[in-house]
Amino acid sequence: MSADLAIEARGLFKSFDGKAAVRGIDIAVPQGSIYGILGPNGAGKTTTLRMLLGIIEPDDGRRTLLGHERPLEAAKVVGYLPEERGLYPAMHCREAIAFMGALRGLPLDVGRKRADILLRENGLGDYVDKPIKSLSKGMAQTIQVFGTIVHKPKLVVLDEPFSGLDAINQGRLEQLIRDEAAAGTTVIFSTHVIHHAERLCERVAIIAGGQIRFEGSVADARDRLRPQVRLKTRASEGPWRAALPADAVLRDGYWDFDLPPEGMEPLLKALLDGHAGIEELSIERRGLHDAFVAIAGEDAARQMGEDRAELGEAA
Amino acid sequence: MMSVFEAAWVIARRDFVATVYSRSFILFLIIPLALFAVMIAASLWVDDAQANASQPKVAVVADSATSAALIAARRRLADALTPVSERRDGRQSRSFPILETIAPAENVSVQAQRLLADEASGYSAVLSGPLDRITLTGPSRIDESLGQRLGLIVEDARRVAALEAVARAPDAAPVERVITAQAAGNLQMIRRGIARSVMGLIFGITVLLATLLLSNLAEEKTSKVIEILAASVPLDAVFLGKLIAMLGISFVGLALWGGMAGLAYFFIQAAQDFMTLPQAGPAVGWPVFVALVLLYYGANYMLSGALFIGIGGQASNIREIQTLAMPVQILQVGVFFLAVTVVGSTSGTLTWFAYIFPFSSPMAMIAMASESETLWPHLLALVWQAIWVVLIIRISSRLFRRTVLKSASSSGFFSFGRRGKA
Repeated sequence: MSADLAIEARGLFKSFDGKAAVRGIDIAVPQGSIYGILGPNGAGKTTTLRMLLGIIEPDDGRRTLLGHERPLEAAKVVGYLPEERGLYPAMHCREAIAFMGALRGLPLDVGRKRADILLRENGLGDYVDKPIKSLSKGMAQTIQVFGTIVHKPKLVVLDEPFSGLDAINQGRLEQLIRDEAAAGTTVIFSTHVIHHAERLCERVAIIAGGQIRFEGSVADARDRLRPQVRLKTRASEGPWRAALPADAVLRDGYWDFDLPPEGMEPLLKALLDGHAGIEELSIERRGLHDAFVAIAGEDAARQMGEDRAELGEAA
Repeated sequence: MMSVFEAAWVIARRDFVATVYSRSFILFLIIPLALFAVMIAASLWVDDAQANASQPKVAVVADSATSAALIAARRRLADALTPVSERRDGRQSRSFPILETIAPAENVSVQAQRLLADEASGYSAVLSGPLDRITLTGPSRIDESLGQRLGLIVEDARRVAALEAVARAPDAAPVERVITAQAAGNLQMIRRGIARSVMGLIFGITVLLATLLLSNLAEEKTSKVIEILAASVPLDAVFLGKLIAMLGISFVGLALWGGMAGLAYFFIQAAQDFMTLPQAGPAVGWPVFVALVLLYYGANYMLSGALFIGIGGQASNIREIQTLAMPVQILQVGVFFLAVTVVGSTSGTLTWFAYIFPFSSPMAMIAMASESETLWPHLLALVWQAIWVVLIIRISSRLFRRTVLKSASSSGFFSFGRRGKA
């Protein structure tokens, strides 16, 4: 397995009570990258992350975490934020962060100092000695995120880190992920909100039904679809109409269609020769959402939307 | 990766601090003291009530000489049965009935009937007549013990009267006492008493600690930290850490209760010289015995605690924890009775079973330490018990990982996800 990869998994398989949750997943996360795992609830994201971290053992397949085949051997340099947030309610913020560091081998006194710095730098200095139970859900989640990075890990694994956060806190978390990556930390997170992955990730894995449907860079995912052309003309009829692709659709006075395989030049010539009277012409690269729909299917995309609506999340 | 012991120490430290600063710990400290105080108060009250109830009143309807002879005889007998220390305080054994003199009327038998019928006076029987022809009047089912004691009083009064008639002194010289360090029968009794008391204490504290352990499990259930723990350290360390924390907490309790008991002993000892520690000690000597008791206490706690954690970990809610913990509690009671049964015995199938069966082994070995000087079996037993602690923790953590630590089902106590996320 490659030394340039923070995580490498081949053919991971896991079933619960005879029902397959994950079916032959392959993942390769380059060191220092931000990597997203996209998929609706029940797709197999959490099970995959838990197998990668060694919380549960795969029924089949192999994985390495920072070069270790036994993930716990890398525990000191890994940070993990589980989807089911867990903090001891009576613990004070500083102690909670330091305790999570101590679980990763960070001495408690160092953990306390770093906790103070993290809280102060993020405008939460007043919360140092506040018990977790007195915090809002979003605030408690922020404390847990700090606990995930307090020991300065080489790899941070975040399971649905944006769920339950308002738009402001989501923005802060995005920045924190960028900062970690800028410092050389590999960040892998799962999400069912495509925008976060699109804004943050260099590479993504799209999971649906326990299988990887796509694994590669965000650009590659978007390049799977042809760019979209949007055209507005003064003339509504004319010989130029025959030059439009068969899938062109007229909506609100605009023609929408995929960029023809032969490019824009022949079409442009036909429009000009046919006196179409070009008012507006744009060529847009497709977004990750469109790529997701094309790769995972309409059903998976619809479920992602439902999941978000159910959790009342900000985009 | 941190070693299992390093990781267990991190978990133990967190649990220890969290528990010691919790309200449930204050309750844990207070409950045994309150129970002890209630038990002492109740036993004193019961003693007093029983003593009053067990000292019947008997009317003596006789001439003054007869009455005086009977009352003097009663005093002699009661004094003879009263410990010296109590006699110094003017107390007297309550074994004999109170005698009250009543002047005889014309018809003594009618007077006796009336006295027995008078509820305000509350006589249990009536003695009447001259000393050589005493009549005991009372219900047909007169208390046998009362009858015998009145017989002793009458007998003694007649003996003294007879001796006085021939002008001989009634009292012979008192029995001379020669004090020895110990008597074998007494030593055995004391050692068995020590073993049983220590076993009772260990049993009580372990049962009490089970409550704390269960509330700790409940905290894990509500806080959902287990996934973070499982991703950071080996599960064996999580289980071991929790057990070590609870053991540490129990030692804090023991130190506090022991300190209070010691203070109480010295204050009472200073105020009244009535409490003395037994001169005879366990066969291995007090220092070794205390060390062994602490080690066996730890082993006993770790064994039943590991079982509690292992079974409790499989439960999906607090009620299920309590239900699943019941068999362990029944096992604890059974093990306690088994160990108490083998006190005083060093051979036989049951005794060897108690020594070898891991859950009864710690308490049974305490019994051995109190009665046998041999030390090497204790080393063997402690190693044996430690092996079982490790074994139970390993099995529990494996079972926990296999059945509970999964995402597709929410059947277990620490299961993840609100609706089977994957």
